[in-house]
Amino acid sequence: MIADPLTYAAIGGIWLEAALAPQSDFGRRAAMRERFYSPGEEVAAGERARRTVALAAAFAAPALERVREAIRWCPDPTAIAARAGAGDPLADVDFFELGRFVDALAFVRAQWPVDVALEPPPALEPIAAALAPGRERAGFYLADRFDAELESARRAVAERQAVLDGATSVLEASVSAAVGATVRDGEFILMRDAHAGALPPNVRVTREAASYRACELVYDERTLAALVARDAAAAVVARVEERARIALSAAIGAHARAILTVTERLGDCEREFARAAFAQRWGGCVPTYSHEQIGWENAVYPPLAQALAERGRAYAPLSFAWPGVAVLTGPNMGGKTAAMQTAGFIALCAAQGLPIPADAAHVSIVARITWIGADDRDDRAALLSAFGGEVVRVRALLASGEPTLALVDEFARTTSPGEGRALLVALVRTLVKRNIRALVATHFDGVARETQTAHLAIAGLRHALPAGPARDLDAALAALGEAMDYRVLAVGPEDEPHADALALAALLGLDPELIAAAHAARARQRSDAPPASNG
Amino acid sequence: MNVAFDLFDCARAAGTRTIAVVGTAKNVGKTVGVRALCESARERGIAYAITSIGRDGETSDALDALPKPQLTVPPGTIVATARDLVPRSPACEILGLGDRSALGAIAFVRVRATARFEIGGPPTASGVRRTLAQLARFTDGPIFLDGAIDRIAALAGGDDAVIVATGAQSGATVERVAAIAGDLVKRLSLPRDDGTCRDAIVIDGALGPERASELIARHAGARVIVSDPTRVSVRGKLFEQLIERVDLRTSAPILVVACTVSSYGRAGQLDPRALVHAVARATGRPSFDLFAGLAA
Repeated sequence: MIADPLTYAAIGGIWLEAALAPQSDFGRRAAMRERFYSPGEEVAAGERARRTVALAAAFAAPALERVREAIRWCPDPTAIAARAGAGDPLADVDFFELGRFVDALAFVRAQWPVDVALEPPPALEPIAAALAPGRERAGFYLADRFDAELESARRAVAERQAVLDGATSVLEASVSAAVGATVRDGEFILMRDAHAGALPPNVRVTREAASYRACELVYDERTLAALVARDAAAAVVARVEERARIALSAAIGAHARAILTVTERLGDCEREFARAAFAQRWGGCVPTYSHEQIGWENAVYPPLAQALAERGRAYAPLSFAWPGVAVLTGPNMGGKTAAMQTAGFIALCAAQGLPIPADAAHVSIVARITWIGADDRDDRAALLSAFGGEVVRVRALLASGEPTLALVDEFARTTSPGEGRALLVALVRTLVKRNIRALVATHFDGVARETQTAHLAIAGLRHALPAGPARDLDAALAALGEAMDYRVLAVGPEDEPHADALALAALLGLDPELIAAAHAARARQRSDAPPASNG
Repeated sequence: MNVAFDLFDCARAAGTRTIAVVGTAKNVGKTVGVRALCESARERGIAYAITSIGRDGETSDALDALPKPQLTVPPGTIVATARDLVPRSPACEILGLGDRSALGAIAFVRVRATARFEIGGPPTASGVRRTLAQLARFTDGPIFLDGAIDRIAALAGGDDAVIVATGAQSGATVERVAAIAGDLVKRLSLPRDDGTCRDAIVIDGALGPERASELIARHAGARVIVSDPTRVSVRGKLFEQLIERVDLRTSAPILVVACTVSSYGRAGQLDPRALVHAVARATGRPSFDLFAGLAA
């Protein structure tokens, strides 16, 4: 697994999995065969992304959806093929399902555009031909053509059934006349007040009751002989039908491997189409691979973009790059976390050979992605404080030794600021030393300067936020979205992060007196602070 | 007189596509009633379809291992049964597959040569409704549904004629059997709500004894609406009091058209003539004893 569950959720892994989720059993099996690309497999990952981009470009979106839908409705013949391949005789329902599969496969192939490099799954003509005698209508019937003796055997049963029916009718009629009631094959009742006399020889009492006798017919010799003859003929039909099924099953079994190959191919196609649909929806580029500088232009974090679109709000694509380790600063609600989520999502796409949802991207394939943030306590660490949970995850990160992308979101913000900042500085230096690629978001001042690492910053507010509280939360978010410049900029190590927390608190409706007191305290803090030092 | 024909005609007169047979207990001749419908249709040359709610028509009773009747169906019949129950011989024409069941997907088959069937239909109410809808696409004839009293929810929301099968297995005396049948028919035959009462109490879910007692005590004269009659689980005197004290109605009434009786139970025998007349009186429905050839 490329990411632990907390990281996977934080960087949109669950969202991506749902977006690419297979709908058919073939696709589900194909998904289980897939694995993430590892460092060193950049060429293969790039080639896969290139195929997906080409497929997305060649298929019109409606055509792509039609083929996906057709695959979705294909019945799964895997178990039937496996049984036939092992020599088991199949049942008629199995032949019916195989017929439906062959039909569905033909439909999928018919939907396939001619100018797509991806080959459609092959048709299963031998299977279609083997089943054809039973498929004159939409269903399946073990028709007479499947065995030379079948027609005559069935005719014999029909003839002998007619003889039996005739004999039974004669018997019923004679007994009915004798007892003065309508008598039918099977159990019947004679009321004592209507028929108290002796019973005819072809009636047997099965149960005595005070007011009636329950009876049944006893077959005479003629009827019994007709029954024996009918059953013998039926046994012949059963034997010949089974022989026909065995022969047909063997014909299917001879192509079992081909059927299984086609189902695998359908699964692979479904996966490719899901990836192409993702690229069509979110845009996708084939990345270049770099171990030095990674970054992207106009990258989209689809889970957030989709959530904003559902609320009628615009999403601002991100463009930024960094070498090795970078410190990311910026105002609250400026998009630091979203920037890191974008980095994690793109790393996840790269490891799957997916096109990157960006105009261009330089990426590195990593073995692990690790998210470290304040909300990352799992069940096992539930007894730890937020800070304790972070420390446990940092310890695991540093112990792994695998090529990793670390996304550190405000590490140590819940402990004392002095010690927290010192820990963060030490962590950044360790990440650099161990060559762990990392993006480190923080509100602590001067971390980039002190660690001599790249400094990225959210551009921040373009203009002052409206004075006073917004009408409601939606209005506040709209005002913030309009004022905030979400771009991630490379800035000098000396640049201080923006401090827009007080303006933001005011916009969100915090008591104006409290805000005013905070401004005053901030002013005193600045006048009392010693001059900044590089030491 | 052929009472099977009379039962068939009585059910067909309702004008519904589906005719369901439900029993007041096990071993009250429910499958015998279904078989009578099938044979009447066959003798009239009417092609029909058949399925069941869950598994029924077993070769032996699952509880006491005594033999139970199987259904023999003629060519042209459409059967919906679990795929594992489709007989291997004589071969049937497979028309389609539907809902899942414990014995595999429900297979829709056309009988090509007279065959004996154990029928296991979908176990869920929604599955039964879907299966009936699919059967209606394969045949223009009547559709027979072999039901079960403990799975009666499948009748909700359908346009079915219902035959209630009862017999000595459900009570020790003629009066008791008739009372149970009358109680069931009354429950199933709740009048339709016409939507005119704005203060009606709408019951969301089942109407059990506790809720019924509360309605009797606190809401005398009120209109009470259940989504369908199968939601009412109140029996006996309490049910009688409930319908006397409140105006109990339903959004989806069930049409009970007739009853069948079986005078023989595993525990004893009742007088067939007395039983068929008592059930007819208690239910207000034409009643038939298919063994004895009696009708009332």
